[in-house]
Amino acid sequence: MRDKATTLYIGPQHPGITGNMMVKVQVEGDTIIKARTEVGYLHRAFEKLQERRNWLQSFTLLCRFCVPEPDPVEESYARAVEMLEGREVPERAKYIRVLMLELARMGSYLLWYGGQNGSLGLYTMGQWSVGDRNYILDLFEELTGGRIYHMYIWPGGVRRDLPEGFTDKVLRTMDYFEKRLKDYDDLMFTNTIFQKRTQGVGVISKEKAVEWGVVGPVLRGCGIKSDIRIDDPYEIYDQLDFEVPTAEGGDIWARALVRRAEIRQSIRIIRQVIEKMPSGEIYNKIPNPLKWALPKGDAYARTEATRGEIGMYIVSDGTVNPRRTHLRGAAYVHGVSLLEDLLVGENVADISAIMNSLGTCPPEIER
Amino acid sequence: MSFFDLTGTLKPLTALKQFGKQPHTISYPKVKKEAADRYRGFHYNDLEECIGCGNCSTICQNAAIDMIQIEGIDGKKGDSGLRPRVDNGRCCWCALCVEVCPTGSLSLTKDYLYVSEDPDTFLWTPGVDNPEGKERVSFTSTGDSSLNVFQRVPMRELEGKERVKSFAEVVLGYNEAEARAEASRCISCGICTEVCPDHMHIPEYINAIAAGKDDEAVRIIYDNNPLPEMCGKVCTRRCEDVCALAHRGEPIAIRWLKRYATETAVTADITHEIVNPVIKESNGKTVGIVGAGPSGLTAAYYLALRGYDVTIFEANAKAGGATMYGIPKYRLPIESLDKQIEYIQSIGVKIHFNTKVGKDITFKEIYEKYDVVFMGVGFPAAWTLGIDGEDAQGSVQAVNYLHAINSGDKVEIGDKVIVVGGGNVAIDAARVSKRFGADVTILYRRRVEDMPADWEEIEGAEDEGIHIIPQAIPVAVHKDENGRVKSLEYVLAEMVPDERGGRPKPVEIEGSNTTIEATSVMAAIGQMGDYSFLDEYAETIKVDRGRFVVNDKQQTTDPKVFAGGDAVNRTADAISAIADGFRACKAIDEMMMGTEK
Amino acid sequence: MKELKENIIQRLKTNFADAVAGSEFSYNRVDVHVKKETIPSILFYLKEEMGYVHLSHISCVDWLEEGEFELVFIVWSPVDKVKVFVKTRLDRENPVLENIDMIWRQANTYEREFREMFGIQFTGLVAPDEFILEDWQGPPPFRRDFDTAEYAKKTFWNRPGREDAQDVRETISGRDGEEIPDFAKKYSR
Repeated sequence: MRDKATTLYIGPQHPGITGNMMVKVQVEGDTIIKARTEVGYLHRAFEKLQERRNWLQSFTLLCRFCVPEPDPVEESYARAVEMLEGREVPERAKYIRVLMLELARMGSYLLWYGGQNGSLGLYTMGQWSVGDRNYILDLFEELTGGRIYHMYIWPGGVRRDLPEGFTDKVLRTMDYFEKRLKDYDDLMFTNTIFQKRTQGVGVISKEKAVEWGVVGPVLRGCGIKSDIRIDDPYEIYDQLDFEVPTAEGGDIWARALVRRAEIRQSIRIIRQVIEKMPSGEIYNKIPNPLKWALPKGDAYARTEATRGEIGMYIVSDGTVNPRRTHLRGAAYVHGVSLLEDLLVGENVADISAIMNSLGTCPPEIER
Repeated sequence: MSFFDLTGTLKPLTALKQFGKQPHTISYPKVKKEAADRYRGFHYNDLEECIGCGNCSTICQNAAIDMIQIEGIDGKKGDSGLRPRVDNGRCCWCALCVEVCPTGSLSLTKDYLYVSEDPDTFLWTPGVDNPEGKERVSFTSTGDSSLNVFQRVPMRELEGKERVKSFAEVVLGYNEAEARAEASRCISCGICTEVCPDHMHIPEYINAIAAGKDDEAVRIIYDNNPLPEMCGKVCTRRCEDVCALAHRGEPIAIRWLKRYATETAVTADITHEIVNPVIKESNGKTVGIVGAGPSGLTAAYYLALRGYDVTIFEANAKAGGATMYGIPKYRLPIESLDKQIEYIQSIGVKIHFNTKVGKDITFKEIYEKYDVVFMGVGFPAAWTLGIDGEDAQGSVQAVNYLHAINSGDKVEIGDKVIVVGGGNVAIDAARVSKRFGADVTILYRRRVEDMPADWEEIEGAEDEGIHIIPQAIPVAVHKDENGRVKSLEYVLAEMVPDERGGRPKPVEIEGSNTTIEATSVMAAIGQMGDYSFLDEYAETIKVDRGRFVVNDKQQTTDPKVFAGGDAVNRTADAISAIADGFRACKAIDEMMMGTEK
Repeated sequence: MKELKENIIQRLKTNFADAVAGSEFSYNRVDVHVKKETIPSILFYLKEEMGYVHLSHISCVDWLEEGEFELVFIVWSPVDKVKVFVKTRLDRENPVLENIDMIWRQANTYEREFREMFGIQFTGLVAPDEFILEDWQGPPPFRRDFDTAEYAKKTFWNRPGREDAQDVRETISGRDGEEIPDFAKKYSR
């Protein structure tokens, strides 16, 4: 049988995900017998570039680590710098950060709705959710001045305070989504096609999940309750009331259910944040950025993003430039060795769906 | 679940209810989406506000911003004349350039669409290419959001009540942490260097301090100023007026930072060790210098470094000129000045003290003995008020008073002192008198805000309890039967705007004559030169309106004679004198070595 | 929390003679330095015996001046809720470490990257030669002695049109005749 194997190249033009990468698969019939990830289409050596930039300039590169959801990266960098420096962040800034992170989570999940369904040929869902995502982007635009690249959460706090009437707009948007998400369910989760294409596909067992370092919704889709917001709380997550949804099965379907539930938890968190938000300062100003040296040492801050654990490890040698910044991307562990292992035995038509369900994000893998 | 699951098949059809609904999207170009109020679109630069400091270009992590010359904008003091140009092929709209702009001239606008058939139009000069951008500004810099640190590290000083008790130095100086913090505010644009008469390397030494390299800072400072500690304490610091941060905040304390750096070299020996001057082998040329003031010492120091045999003739017992005899010791302690002069002597400069040219030695002797002569003779004589009764005992000139006090002499001033004038000399004389226990009043013909003295000095005087009567013109000194000062009579003046646009003029108000008691009256209304020592050389060395006539190399009308300091320049401050000395040194060296350009 | 952290260090010290505690932190972080030979066993011990089941991150830092690479393994226990940073130093001239991807499978990806970007060899690592780079002939590019700016200058070119850019400091000093001495120039902006 082996000699009848065919080699296929999936990608590199956005194979059902945001970003360019390629999966080289050997198939027998339409069953995959071997898969190999090929990355390198997006390598921009950001971490190396940051070594030549100062601590503030580095911050503007961060959002490009992951386009659909740049804020967790910014947040973990800012928090790592604050940890290293011992810089306090005003309470209001922490609330605004959480608001940003949760809006970003919603935006990213809405994009995932589109991607996941698109990879199965269900394009209407994508039209809807990406259209609705624009309402979130509008909020970002008003708050930060940018729709996709916000460059908003920076060391010491956030860049600008909420504009007038902003929280009302956010609440109105949340109202809209609460109603709207029902339509999504009708179109997607009760849809027989979606169910049939996702249930039992790309299954990760609990044991495997631990062994391979799986994180985020993928891990929760294996029935393991794990969320950094609860386990290793940051900003003000320990003061908020929300649930960590899990699902059993470890397949694409289970992961989809987790995400479906999480977008509702985000709405819940956003409402709480707006309700509890204190007034006051939003920024503990850094010194002149050109001469801003961090003390010697290292720090690691991690954030729960829609793809899982995003971490930023920074090392300072006491100068104005980072010695090393190193992003820990969720896709880094999901998108390479795990994916290669998971694809074996799957149907060739499910490659995109599996990749998407793992939250594969190439810019995070190669940085 | 079978393939023909009814719900799963029919539910998706509810999507049809969206049919006919208003779409989310807007139809471009019919409706142009207006960006949010904070949108980060194309740059706009207010060309009038911008000073071309280039901080935007420095922070840009994409190297997208160039500083370029623009037609119609010329550089001037406080403005480099350059303006930013953005390479939009590189810009990532992070707006860090906006956040670090010290003047707040740079902002981003709501405009985000630009279409051109020419692929080479990616370069964009904000403000020049989009003058209409002013109305479209969205992402701007405010004092709160700016990443510039606008607050200066405050300088510790003695309390007003404490300081009148003695001549202890009032300003306490920065400690290391304060100096590092203050130095790290600097954005290193270098705009300050242009207004410094001596063009000191300000950003370089401030950066060295910020980097914790005080020794390097001292070396950089000594590159063109041999009396930096004096400048660090009493300089008129015009550099701080044009500081980029001064546009929206407090300027960098350039003077105090220089003071901090030089004070780390505690003695002349340590200064020598740190500066580690390279003294060239003797070239056999000799230079005679008249006056050991700032200009003479500067010329002497740098000429000695270049291998010249330098001799200074000083009339007084100590070197330093006006900085020694004119500035009170609570501003410039004698030890500080001595240290700097000792260092200058340590590299081979010879100073003959108590040798007044024209009395103890003739100018002719010097002229004939030395290959080149430099004159830094200053303004030794004071203007008098020119009013009745000025000959009274106790009516003195403030500079003479300060000279006597600084020489260690005792002067009887009584307990009611009136100082006439509004310059630094007036304030100095007043504050010195206060330290001898007198009640002091300053009379000034214009308003307090017109006073040419440093505002810090004026504030210091007020803190110490000195009374200032502005818009008061003295008319007569009244004597008692012993010929001593009894009182001073003055009239009040009103300020009349000058029709030609000059500063307002004080005009006497008739009948407003007031008399106040006084034991001493000090005139501090200006000084002038005394060139009698020149004798027969007065014919060749020309003087015009009280000052030597020199060219841009400090050369007088006699090519062998150079001059600098108060007797030459109009700014009459120490740093200008130092600049004159430095310039003269270069010109003398060029002339003697035959490398003249 | 303090007690818990001390216990962790104590346990590791008892079991691994070369374990040295690193700097202390006020939050849930423990640092421990070991010799490179100990890495697989200490990580295995942390995972199997102490409940540090999650490998959060592996990072590599080039301490060029000290002639060493530092490898940092960050592990997390959902029970203790503590991050343990296991650090080791490798000789820069001969950077070799034992492969640990049998303990956590995702380590394979990290090791592939460090092999390519830093030139660190992992004994026993099974992975394709190339990861991110393709046909790369030069030195491992994430080493600090590889100058990216220099490389970019050599490899690419600037689009013409920006040659008229001026330096603010030079413009001003040129205008007023200031001569900045060479030793001071490194402090210019």
